[in-house]
Amino acid sequence: MAHASFSLPKPLLAKFESDAGVKLSIIKGGDAGEMLNKLILTRAQPIADVVFGIDNALVVKAQAADVLEAYNGPAGQRPAVVPLAAGVVAVDYGFVTINYDRAWFAKSGLALPRSLDDLAQPAYRNLLAVMHPATSSPGYAFMLSTIAGLGEEAAFTWWGRMRANGVKVTKGWSEAYYTEFTRNGGTRPLVVSYASSPAAEVFYSKEKLTEPPTGSLNLKGAVFRQVEGVALVRGGQQREAARRFIEFLRSAPVQEALQTTMWMYAAEPGTARPEVLRHAAEPTAFDNPPVEAIAARGADWVSRWTGVVLK
Amino acid sequence: MNATGASRWPTLGLAALPLGFLALVVVAPLVRLSTVALADVDGAILAALVRDDYLRWRLAWTVLQALLTCLLALLIGLPVAWVLARRSFPGRALVLRLLMLPFVVPTLVAALGVLAVWGPRGVFASWTGIQWQDTPWLLLYGNLFFNLCLVVRAAVEALERVSAARVAAARTLGATPWRAFWRVEWPAILPWLASALCLVFLYTFSGFGLALVLGGQRFATIEVEIYTLVAHELKLAPAGLLALAMLLLTGLVALLYAWVERRLGAPARADHIARTRPSGLWQWCAVWLALLALLLLCAAPILAIALQVLLAGAGAWSVLWEPETLQALWNTVRFTCAALVLATLLGVTHALAARRSTWLRAAAFLPFVVSPVTVAFGLLLLYPAWSASLPLLIGAYALLAYPFVANALGAALDSLPPSLAQVARTLGASPLRVFWRVTLPLVQPALRRGMAFAAATALGEFAVTLFLSRPEWATLTTLIYERLGRPGASNRAQALVLAAELMLLALLVFVLIDRPVRDRDGRRPLPPYRAAGLPHA
Repeated sequence: MAHASFSLPKPLLAKFESDAGVKLSIIKGGDAGEMLNKLILTRAQPIADVVFGIDNALVVKAQAADVLEAYNGPAGQRPAVVPLAAGVVAVDYGFVTINYDRAWFAKSGLALPRSLDDLAQPAYRNLLAVMHPATSSPGYAFMLSTIAGLGEEAAFTWWGRMRANGVKVTKGWSEAYYTEFTRNGGTRPLVVSYASSPAAEVFYSKEKLTEPPTGSLNLKGAVFRQVEGVALVRGGQQREAARRFIEFLRSAPVQEALQTTMWMYAAEPGTARPEVLRHAAEPTAFDNPPVEAIAARGADWVSRWTGVVLK
Repeated sequence: MNATGASRWPTLGLAALPLGFLALVVVAPLVRLSTVALADVDGAILAALVRDDYLRWRLAWTVLQALLTCLLALLIGLPVAWVLARRSFPGRALVLRLLMLPFVVPTLVAALGVLAVWGPRGVFASWTGIQWQDTPWLLLYGNLFFNLCLVVRAAVEALERVSAARVAAARTLGATPWRAFWRVEWPAILPWLASALCLVFLYTFSGFGLALVLGGQRFATIEVEIYTLVAHELKLAPAGLLALAMLLLTGLVALLYAWVERRLGAPARADHIARTRPSGLWQWCAVWLALLALLLLCAAPILAIALQVLLAGAGAWSVLWEPETLQALWNTVRFTCAALVLATLLGVTHALAARRSTWLRAAAFLPFVVSPVTVAFGLLLLYPAWSASLPLLIGAYALLAYPFVANALGAALDSLPPSLAQVARTLGASPLRVFWRVTLPLVQPALRRGMAFAAATALGEFAVTLFLSRPEWATLTTLIYERLGRPGASNRAQALVLAAELMLLALLVFVLIDRPVRDRDGRRPLPPYRAAGLPHA
């Protein structure tokens, strides 16, 4: 079972099947949060043996619901570039952050915002598009970073000011990026996305760009580090195959490939970084709330956010 | 009506198939989910829901925008349909098929098209300086873009079945064309319109797609609320209560419609008004106005996409030959065919069984009135072993597609002249033979229309997003969303190229299913009396 963004080269998956002598059936369960809820709902009769895409915002909820089983094989013993949680093997990580449209800022002459506070100023009115934290995992991550960076009360005050300053809320990342972002014909030159997006823009450009058309604004309180992992599903049938799959996800070929198929950074130390990712420098700082706080307060924060920004 | 024929139909036997299907795929999952959900319902949750101003506002807005859409669709769709039904001009048949394309365009692609024309940086804004984004107007536009075809297609078909003799009689007795329309044509087409508007209402009421992208989160409907509660927060109790409230409200609409249709449905006479070529300035103006309305409301966004596809360049076009795309194309075709066969079977049996039962008629709307996300989660809970299986996926497609067949056929069966079937029975034909040789040929246009919409449903994204899927089952729509899930100009271009491929495929399917019924075919067992505008004696 994987979230909707799971993507690895077909030959790699085929090689795994022939090496392990198993038939891999991948089930996509929507975005990460939706996928986890489907696992929780079917825990009496699990529909999968192994799950990929449990991230640091969800891992405590998953463990509390008792749908995972700890894995302590070689991949679980080896250190990862970034930690996740005991029993869940980190596979990749990335940063949710604000992207900006270079051409738009060059043309308008407006200085790039230097803090979240700047964004709430009249000069930056109607410039930012974010995603609803209840329907989008980057949207949720971005909200969490504001809470960790500013403190809960100040964060919601900021969101209230952003509402007055015309922040646009969309359902998911695709809507924000492809209908709101100025780079794609919208009206918002600032959009919540990933630190790797500028590199993907170069990789998927039509006229083979050498410089990314977008950049990341790594503002204080507006960067969330997301760590995705793989885990055994409690009650799964194919224990041995599931273990092999976990090892496979941490193997060198997969770790190298996922960087340009899922646009995340590799969790295995020493993995070569593709050339194009030089356009995606890792932010030096990030603001994540403690995972326990996310598990305990996450749902409340989302409803408070909805109240402040939409109602 | 149809007394002699219908009474012998083994109605119950017929109803068993669709009702059994509904029970398995809709009712049982909902009951199963409710048993989980309602276990933790308490007074506090109920009270909180009732007192929540935001939810009340949402509900009011949800109803209001659905009603407004129905009203606009009627005001615009009926005149357009009248022109399409009464005037013959080159390309008329093509227009009727093109009209259904909005139905298959993936939401996000449609949004890209709509914004390219009406958005803040679109053609309209650059000409007039007026920008519509974040206003309810753009949302209503999205609703119309998507739903107008339902009203126009149903009304065209209804108008084509209006008795020429009755209109001619009214005109001979001195009625103005306007009065003849109100007193003769309007009552005859009302059941058909009611059926189409009911679908429009239910679609926009549960509105989950285009309108939401265009209108922004502030205009989200109740179904979005339920989706959030179930899929992301797993708060089944409040979601279940909301879904139940929606079910009651939409169920009332469906019942009301079924009652109206059964009351108003009257057998028509089999003499049809022939289309005439427009003559004179006014008639040509009417034709051009109708086409202009369709161009602005339905075609402009699609043309904007087509233009971008043409400009996308060979690099983006190469996506069409990738093995992944060919696989997706094959999946799209085979899923659509399988779903269409099942949907037709269910739709025909349901329509035949529901001829004399208001409840059964309303039940045909069940797939539209239940909250899709609750069904999806209910299915998962009830049949975990089947959760990612092909039969369940095809079942889900057919579930969302078959009401179109049932509804289109239902209205057609009502307006069937009973005498023809009676004559055939008198002459010794068995009920099955009567159905095959008499009823079926006469309701064929309606059946084709229903099947075309059913195919459009299967081709489009309706079923794909909520249910579990496997990468090897990717359809064209899935690929489009995958492309739009990653940044980069070539991803966007490829998504649009794939959307164009999907639309061409859909058009091909519509042409195959929905062939024009020829006026002079001696091959058909019982040709409708087409008397070139003259009342049939």
